[in-house]
Amino acid sequence: MTKLWNDPADFRAELIDGFVAAYGRYVRRIPDASGVMAVDGPRSGKVAVIIGGGSGHYPAFCGYVGPGLADAAVMGNVFAAPSSEQVYRCTQAVIGNAGALYCYGNYSGDVLNFDMAAMRCQMEGQDVRTVRVTDDVASAPPDQQEKRRGISGDFFVFKIAGASAARGDTLDEVERLTRHANARTRSFGVAFGGCTLPGQTEPLFTVEPGRMELGLGVHGEPGVSSSEMRTAAEIADLLLDTLLAERPDGGEARAALLLNGLGNTKYEELFVLYKDIDRRLAQEGVRIHRPVVDEQVTSLNMAGCSLSLLWLDDELEALLDAPCASAGYVQSAL
Amino acid sequence: MSEATSVETMRRIIRQALASMEEHADELGRLDAAAGDGDHGITMVRGMKAAVAVLDANAPDAGALLSRGALAFSDAAGGASGALYGMLFATAGRQLGAGPYATADVAAAMRAGCDVVMRLGKAQPGDKTLLDALEPFLVALDAAADRPLPVAWRTALPAAQAGTAATAGMVASCGRSATLGERSLGHRDPGAVSLTYLLEAVDKVIGEAESDR
Repeated sequence: MTKLWNDPADFRAELIDGFVAAYGRYVRRIPDASGVMAVDGPRSGKVAVIIGGGSGHYPAFCGYVGPGLADAAVMGNVFAAPSSEQVYRCTQAVIGNAGALYCYGNYSGDVLNFDMAAMRCQMEGQDVRTVRVTDDVASAPPDQQEKRRGISGDFFVFKIAGASAARGDTLDEVERLTRHANARTRSFGVAFGGCTLPGQTEPLFTVEPGRMELGLGVHGEPGVSSSEMRTAAEIADLLLDTLLAERPDGGEARAALLLNGLGNTKYEELFVLYKDIDRRLAQEGVRIHRPVVDEQVTSLNMAGCSLSLLWLDDELEALLDAPCASAGYVQSAL
Repeated sequence: MSEATSVETMRRIIRQALASMEEHADELGRLDAAAGDGDHGITMVRGMKAAVAVLDANAPDAGALLSRGALAFSDAAGGASGALYGMLFATAGRQLGAGPYATADVAAAMRAGCDVVMRLGKAQPGDKTLLDALEPFLVALDAAADRPLPVAWRTALPAAQAGTAATAGMVASCGRSATLGERSLGHRDPGAVSLTYLLEAVDKVIGEAESDR
């Protein structure tokens, strides 16, 4: 369970204060708003990439603010979308003359609040576009990708948006590339145990011993179905069978890969799983580019993991390889 | 009803709404955890506390007070609930304004709020949302439009309660619980439940004011 808090009602405010105190080399607090912005921003002529969502997913979202990534992150309460007022205020803090791109996971609360803020900015003459991350294959069938929710694929879509904006692309181009990245990103996950909100004593859901949930959500939602617990090798196949079913047609097969821990499944376990993912993808003829085995889009202390693939082409690979620096993810130029 | 009386009544309604959300927070959280993230009770309490916190400011009329409370609610609550409840009551408050507050006026203001919620949330009755309580309530309130507001409101409440009960038999097709499809079956929608508690809180205040006469 979540153990460290003072008053649960102050959890968000206190975590922002602590995050900014620790990582002032990347971010500063946006005055009178629930969010952070990059210390070097806003930059004239650069598209502002604004990400955000509920708290409880660190390093998503505030951990991705920095050069080569996002210009600002709007931070809601634990697992709750930020209000449109906060999205609007954060936008005003970083938007310059090149417009802004909102990029966030596709959840009704985030959609409502970011859309209301975008409308308000547009009425004031600012160019604000939106790309919603829809990578979770468990949440809707392939012909309804726009209905899927965003999970760990956020990591790749934000990276592409940030890299495109950082090199000076226009808002049209940043939007196009971000949409393209999202269209080629797929994720699937499994959960072994639920998470507990600060101040609560019971987890949001429990998984019976010897079982696991398939198609988890990153807000402690139970999975879309349940199955017997399997070995790591079997789970590697299960994740890949699902993702490879949506492998794009044609061209050489190369993919960026994130094996993401949800919070309570640790690195050593992930490496055991990764060994079989790596072997299986080699058998399938997929070249893995820059694999990341890490906790990137978490769900407090939830147990489980998700696998994300970004099917690369030349323009996406160049953006993925661009350097970036943030509290949550650093990619050196070396 | 004089302006001072109506503003004071609105203050009491908003305070009563907070008390109701605090009383039912655990239940709302449990309902939400069945198919969502379990924070609906926490969110509603956080939002209502923010609405109560702006009550002391001078308000020209009851409608303005409702709108102001709704915007404070929306900002503090966040999430889909914050946005939708905020727009529902901010719109209703704007339309209510300085009155009159006859049943037909209140019903029309609530209907305007409901229309905004449908448009923003892209939901319809039957999608297992708060609309499944609100829509039948508004139909019943309209049907009682020729009766005094406290009587009409109380007459319409069972429609909201029945609508809420019926959500247990629905499969969600909107919002976060939609992902879980069939798994949402058997549980009442937490938004319909919280809306019904809010309508009951209004009844408690205006019904008591009525019986004081």
